[in-house]
Amino acid sequence: MRHILAVAVAVTLMATVVSAQERSRTQSAAVPSTDDALDGEKLFGTLCGFCHQGGGRVAGRGPKLAGTDRPDEYLLNRIRVGKEGAMPAYGRAFSETQLRALIAYIRSLKDDQ
Amino acid sequence: MTTQRTVLHLACLALVVLVAGACSMSTSDAGTTRATAMAEPGGGNDWTTYHGTYQSWHYSPLTQINTDNVKRLRVAWVHHPGRSTRGLQSTPLVADGVLYYTGSYSRVWALDAATGKPLWSYFPKLNDDLVAAQTHSPYTRGIALGQGKVFVGTVDGRLIALDMKTGQPAWDTKLVNSEKLTVGFTGAPLFVKDKVVIGAQGGEWPGRGPIFGVDAASGRKVWEFFTVAGTEEAMKTWGGESWKTGGGGGWMAGGYDPETNTVWWGTGNPAPLYDWAGSDWKTSGPRPGDNLFTSSIIALDPDTGKLKFYHQELPHDAWDFDSAVGEFVMLERDGKKLVVHPNKGGHVFVYDRKDASVVNVWQLAKNINFVRGVDPKTGALIGRRDLPLGKHTNLCPAIAGGMSWNSGAYSPKTGLYYKIGQEWCMDLEVIKTTPVLEPQAQLDIGANFTLRNPEGAKAHGHLSGRDPVTGAKKWEVMFPEPPLASLLATGGNLVFVPDPRGMLRAYNAETGQELWSHNNGIGHNGGIISYAAKGKQYIAVATGWGSLVGDEFGALFGEPYKSMPKDSGAIVVFTLE
Repeated sequence: MRHILAVAVAVTLMATVVSAQERSRTQSAAVPSTDDALDGEKLFGTLCGFCHQGGGRVAGRGPKLAGTDRPDEYLLNRIRVGKEGAMPAYGRAFSETQLRALIAYIRSLKDDQ
Repeated sequence: MTTQRTVLHLACLALVVLVAGACSMSTSDAGTTRATAMAEPGGGNDWTTYHGTYQSWHYSPLTQINTDNVKRLRVAWVHHPGRSTRGLQSTPLVADGVLYYTGSYSRVWALDAATGKPLWSYFPKLNDDLVAAQTHSPYTRGIALGQGKVFVGTVDGRLIALDMKTGQPAWDTKLVNSEKLTVGFTGAPLFVKDKVVIGAQGGEWPGRGPIFGVDAASGRKVWEFFTVAGTEEAMKTWGGESWKTGGGGGWMAGGYDPETNTVWWGTGNPAPLYDWAGSDWKTSGPRPGDNLFTSSIIALDPDTGKLKFYHQELPHDAWDFDSAVGEFVMLERDGKKLVVHPNKGGHVFVYDRKDASVVNVWQLAKNINFVRGVDPKTGALIGRRDLPLGKHTNLCPAIAGGMSWNSGAYSPKTGLYYKIGQEWCMDLEVIKTTPVLEPQAQLDIGANFTLRNPEGAKAHGHLSGRDPVTGAKKWEVMFPEPPLASLLATGGNLVFVPDPRGMLRAYNAETGQELWSHNNGIGHNGGIISYAAKGKQYIAVATGWGSLVGDEFGALFGEPYKSMPKDSGAIVVFTLE
């Protein structure tokens, strides 16, 4: 259910926020279009696990993400824009598909730690 | 003042016999002073290069502040640069009565070293999109001085020269395509002869980690050396095209040996950081092979950028225990000219300066199990713990290392090397990753991990005074959390340790006895120096918290780190009351 909600929110955002910058970003996203590249867990382990430790299940450099009550829109915005001095902005680098995969991964985490 | 100066001159004269260093409290010819201070041990009145001198001693021969009177040390002045995002992580420099320093966003200040009165400032206009896209942004850890200029790197890939007297830009050279690679410069440059040497960020950033030699007069790039596959021999140590995203980098300023005209530099780890091939890393995985010249020390000709020789401290580093630590402590023992270099994994390597052949390797951190040991005769790793795909527990040290990037100190008076060791471990799950390119997204990790206490103990740190060649320990002081700032040794027989809780402490360099402390009100994660201006000796320390290693402290240690600000910092300067 959460996964479906995440996808719906991301699609809505994609349809409504179509700046020239984002169009360019989507077109230039260079991660190979394979199933592996769309895997949010893999993407998380490539980039996000450095700070959101235990795969996002526990607090470390960055906050715990499992069970977060932040809405998808908030998470999407934070990933795109970052937080000065704390989290990089990935808006230049991620396609909307990758963003969706990340949100889906975060929502799949069990809050049991 | 006259009495002080006389006493100091006498003390300095004695020291000159010991170390043949320059030592004077009077103002002398500016150019000569700077050249002498950089090249000779000790540094005299000034502190003109990141590591104090080319020998990386982090030592001031000044004796006005000493074991007898350090209890009278008080704050002389404070300077707040503003916008200290991630704290003030830099090391100030002093030349001819002026203190220069940089901080977050590569802002540069020149202050009267005796009073703190601002003389000029320079705030470069940065590419805000790039600043926002960087994990380690926006700090800058240091500057260099030479040819009447101040040199500073920027996180958007530029090296800038400013006039020392006015702060006006002399040149501004774009060296890295940061728009594509999302890396720039955070480390200090090193001024050598007529060149400025500076290394780009690297490590788990999927690039090739270049180091540059730039003409100090014009800003023209003279050479570029890739720490990933920088020679034909090195290219063969990367399977397939893995060298294209190999990582590396040289993000801390190194040292220079004028006798052999050799720049010594440490390099970062390869990318991805962890390797799911496990023990099959020679033939499979994301980067098969030794991965030269990552996690290595390299010797470069400063005139041409040509590699003279190297030693790879960790062939195929699969733990992020790189060699980027910038201190190359140069000394002599039994007629041999040696250089001592700490590796992030927790071992200290001792090399012959003529060819980087290994003279000894000794262990500083206690909790180490990524290898069973390191051969002290060859430097070869013994009993590697390679980590295949899946879960692993209790890897020691943790990713934050047995030692961090800030520097220790060496005192020619005591013959001891003072260094912080870090004790912590972690659990991790190694996973397959795909680097994000075009534009490059920072980081290619290859694992999810969680820091933890070592078995049977709490995570902690320690300061020890040791023989730099054998590692024999003379004394040790324990800390509940590892201090992350650089150390300072002085001719007054003192060792200064800026700690993470905010206390600046002074110890007897011979015994480790604590003699003085002062609460700066926020953690330390930058440099500390000593200098003289208008007849008085000063201690200057950078304050402020928020590095990536420091970011671990809240989850691991709780308060005061959970609530410690990460957007504050200042230069705090002390002298005798």
